[in-house]
Amino acid sequence: MIPVGGAVPDAVIEVDGVSKWFKDVVAVSDITCSIGWGVTALLGPNGAGKSTLFRLLCGLTTPSHGTVRVLGSDARRDVGLARHIGLVPQQETLFEPLTAFQFVRLAGVLHRVADADASARWALGIVELDPGDPRPLTTYSKGMRQRVKVAQALVHDPEVLFLDEPLTGLDPRQRLHMIDTIQRLGNAGKCVVVSSHVLEEVERFSARVLVIVKGRLAAEGDYHAIRDLMDDRPHRISVRTDDARGVATGLMAHAAAVGVEVLDTTTVLVETTDVTRFRHVIAVVARECDARLYEVNPLDDDLESVFRYLVGG
Amino acid sequence: MDPTITNAPAPTTGRTPSVFFTLYKLFLRTQVTRTRVISLVSLGVVGMLVAWGLGTTLRANPLVRGTDFVNLYGLSLLVPIVVLVFASSMFGDLRDDNTLVYLWLRPVSRIKLALAAALASLTVSWPLAVPPLVIGAALTGGGPTLVRATLLSATVVTVAYTGIFLALGLRVKRPLVWGLLYVFIWEGFIARGSFTAAKGAIRAYGSSILSSITGRTLVLADISLSWSIVVPLVAGVVGLAYTVLRLRRQDVA
Repeated sequence: MIPVGGAVPDAVIEVDGVSKWFKDVVAVSDITCSIGWGVTALLGPNGAGKSTLFRLLCGLTTPSHGTVRVLGSDARRDVGLARHIGLVPQQETLFEPLTAFQFVRLAGVLHRVADADASARWALGIVELDPGDPRPLTTYSKGMRQRVKVAQALVHDPEVLFLDEPLTGLDPRQRLHMIDTIQRLGNAGKCVVVSSHVLEEVERFSARVLVIVKGRLAAEGDYHAIRDLMDDRPHRISVRTDDARGVATGLMAHAAAVGVEVLDTTTVLVETTDVTRFRHVIAVVARECDARLYEVNPLDDDLESVFRYLVGG
Repeated sequence: MDPTITNAPAPTTGRTPSVFFTLYKLFLRTQVTRTRVISLVSLGVVGMLVAWGLGTTLRANPLVRGTDFVNLYGLSLLVPIVVLVFASSMFGDLRDDNTLVYLWLRPVSRIKLALAAALASLTVSWPLAVPPLVIGAALTGGGPTLVRATLLSATVVTVAYTGIFLALGLRVKRPLVWGLLYVFIWEGFIARGSFTAAKGAIRAYGSSILSSITGRTLVLADISLSWSIVVPLVAGVVGLAYTVLRLRRQDVA
């Protein structure tokens, strides 16, 4: 695990040596971490164990080993702790015959909020849904369902929120709104844990990140520090041009690359530790050798390569 | 309306809705579908038509004929199937489509959850199973003795099956298949071949009640009237208790 950043003051969630396995499959392996107030992003590729960790944090399943405490209690044993927790699960299915208002109001009643009607209207307003919509949930699109799920998690105004891939299915405008809502929840002093497999999303959510790869905690700490750490390694960039050999020679002459490999007459694979300088130099080199550039494609800015790097793969 | 995160509605002093009643209504609303009701009403109507046919075509020994009808059609098919469909779906459907989390992750006692589901199941399965059977018993010409025996036996086994199938819905995947195997294989065949196995067949207790009141000798009906009433009711309560236990311990997706 790569620790980046300091310890978490005022830990709301404490995970100590937690593992979860299903028969022979290890879903979560020996995770120890603390999560404090504000927004924390749980980052990992699909199948990394994020949803299982969420289920463990909410008490929906018991750890095979280790302990999880939320606000000092075991969510699995303390039914009353649910009063302080809101969960947006990943699955889409809702109580289909109900309207959005009825569904969110139901959550409010079960949480014994004093005015379930007003709370449901408030929560639906936050996600920009109409409380007066008479249509049953079965007619709702994926994005609308996602917003209903967020509303039911907010209706009792919990201190701790778990949002499992909350941006799934949202259109660009709704994504921005949801990101803003998540940030405001964090700024309002709540503990918000958001899972995502999209690196750029995470950057907008939160400064604090837990990176999970293959069930293990691969990195923990400040997002920008992790990003900087990743920037220290050589970046691989593919350049397609009509003069691969000339471009490769020029890049080496300008010391803009730590490694150059000519794959064929039109493709050069470049390794550089300074992407900004490379972007500047590649244009100069192309002009000098009178080469035409067809494509400049970073090969390892995707999340998978980041994870590979973090786990040393 | 410009709702902000920090202005959640302030607590009011108004009367809050009952959690139990809300859950009860939810179970009825989500599990009592038109398709299920139409199918099971049809099953009851078919039974009544058969009973009417028996009552009008065969004149001899109406009590014996009626008792056989109630035992073979009502207690062996109509009542268990109706209860199985609703009781097993109460938690089974929520488990299968992963919506159980919306009830589980709430500060609601598991006993309340299980009781609301059981009551919702009884609310819909009793009227769909017992009155058609009682009407059928009357149509066979068996008289008030048969009607009384039918009402008591069908009600007692409805309660028992409700507890058992409620737990089954939470315990296994495809509870409908497992329930049908219990009804048709265990109760229909295995129980007939083994005295011990018969004690695990709810049908044996229903048949015993019917036999005790009407005097007609029936297969599996060798249990005293009082035990035939007490044991199924206890089985229903045990099923309910097991459901509560599972709700406390079960993993939720």
